[in-house]
Amino acid sequence: MTGIPISSYALATGLALILIGLWGMLTRKNIIRMIIGFALVDTGIHMVMVSIGYVTGGTAPIIDAAVPASEAVHRVVDPLPSALVLTAIVIGLGVTAVMLSFAVRIYRTRNSLSIDDCAESKW
Amino acid sequence: MQQLIGSLIVLGGAVFLLSAGLGVLRMPDSYNRIQTGTKASTLGTILVLLGLAVLHPEWTWKLLILIFFVLLTNPVSSHALARATHAARTSEDELMVVDRLDESEPEPPSTEPR
Amino acid sequence: MIKRVAVIVTLLLVAAIFSDLLLNYTEQPVLGRLGEYYAAKGPSELGAANLVTSVIVTYRGLDTLGEVTVLFISAAGVGLLLRRRRDEADSRETRPAASEIVQTAAQLLIPMVFLFGIYVFINGHLTPGGGFQGGAIIASGIMLLVLSQPLAALSHRVIGMTESLSGFTYVVVGVLGIVLAGGFLDNRIMALGRFGTLFSAGAIPIIYILIGLKVGAELGSVLDRFRSAAGGQSR
Repeated sequence: MTGIPISSYALATGLALILIGLWGMLTRKNIIRMIIGFALVDTGIHMVMVSIGYVTGGTAPIIDAAVPASEAVHRVVDPLPSALVLTAIVIGLGVTAVMLSFAVRIYRTRNSLSIDDCAESKW
Repeated sequence: MQQLIGSLIVLGGAVFLLSAGLGVLRMPDSYNRIQTGTKASTLGTILVLLGLAVLHPEWTWKLLILIFFVLLTNPVSSHALARATHAARTSEDELMVVDRLDESEPEPPSTEPR
Repeated sequence: MIKRVAVIVTLLLVAAIFSDLLLNYTEQPVLGRLGEYYAAKGPSELGAANLVTSVIVTYRGLDTLGEVTVLFISAAGVGLLLRRRRDEADSRETRPAASEIVQTAAQLLIPMVFLFGIYVFINGHLTPGGGFQGGAIIASGIMLLVLSQPLAALSHRVIGMTESLSGFTYVVVGVLGIVLAGGFLDNRIMALGRFGTLFSAGAIPIIYILIGLKVGAELGSVLDRFRSAAGGQSR
């Protein structure tokens, strides 16, 4: 266990979350469960992106009493993946909100939340 | 030595959080699920924060304030969830034996279908 | 049967790609060139202590403008899909009141939640946090308000006006960057101030305050839409 870098654990967890979310989206019939699977895939992707930006022995990219500005280059993790993930989290939120409102509309018109009842466009 | 005690307390908290997840998965009824989810996860969170206070004694006051907020909000949210479940009442509950809420407060007429 | 086989094969193939990624992953020992530039030049050029904030608001400010636009479009989409029908307009009087425990706890918590949200987005350039996080905290405060007082009506006019004015002012600040300083959304239109204090980093606190108000108002209105959609459903 001594040779495994710590960000591999976060990377493995993120990839496992993506797999679990994919499985949930593919095998469930209830629309809300599929949306939860999508949220899991989203979270997994965020974890993967953040764990890739890790620098060995680095700390948070904030300059205060603990990390003065002169040593920031040597002690700080990459701020760019964190910034991209911030954007991605907000966009995931927007997409989930629209998906949930679609689910509400589907329930209103068909009175059922199973996608087997929404089979009109299947060929 | 201090590290060992702190890590053991954090491990205990993690075990309780795991049992909360197991409880939410395996309980038969929604009321049971609310109960196990809230109680076990609140205790797990408190133990993790206490273990962290043992590991880093300079953060003790901040962690105690955090524990206060967790103790304030978790039971309130589970109470609101349980009341909402009781008001929704999608199907007849075979597991429910006594319903004190129904006996003490008559069902308000606002939840009838329009 | 064939569907289950297809699912398993898909998951196995995806897992094979992921395991390849995981096994060939090596942690970087030093920052890459771009990260090194942000860490070395960020505090001196922009005056912000939080490097992630300086990346989001200034170095990649155009992406943030796009993100704000995506959030606005999704809020508009939710508003369109969950439009209030004419016969559900009076559903508010029939909602049951919240219990006393929830009301008391909400009275204690709502001011603290709003204060904390405002603290998070005002100090976005000094501590972890910023506009989006603070806006989400304010939206959760709005949701607590709505849950504990179901008969309270959120003034959609105030929320709409807050949201539109914040977004508009954000673009105006960006254009001021072209006029007064280096480029679009440059934060040097205001003085950089003393490093590490509240009034530093030029226009970054202003931008984050606008983003925080906009995101809070938007998410609060989305949550209110879902509440009305649920209230209109008969049980």
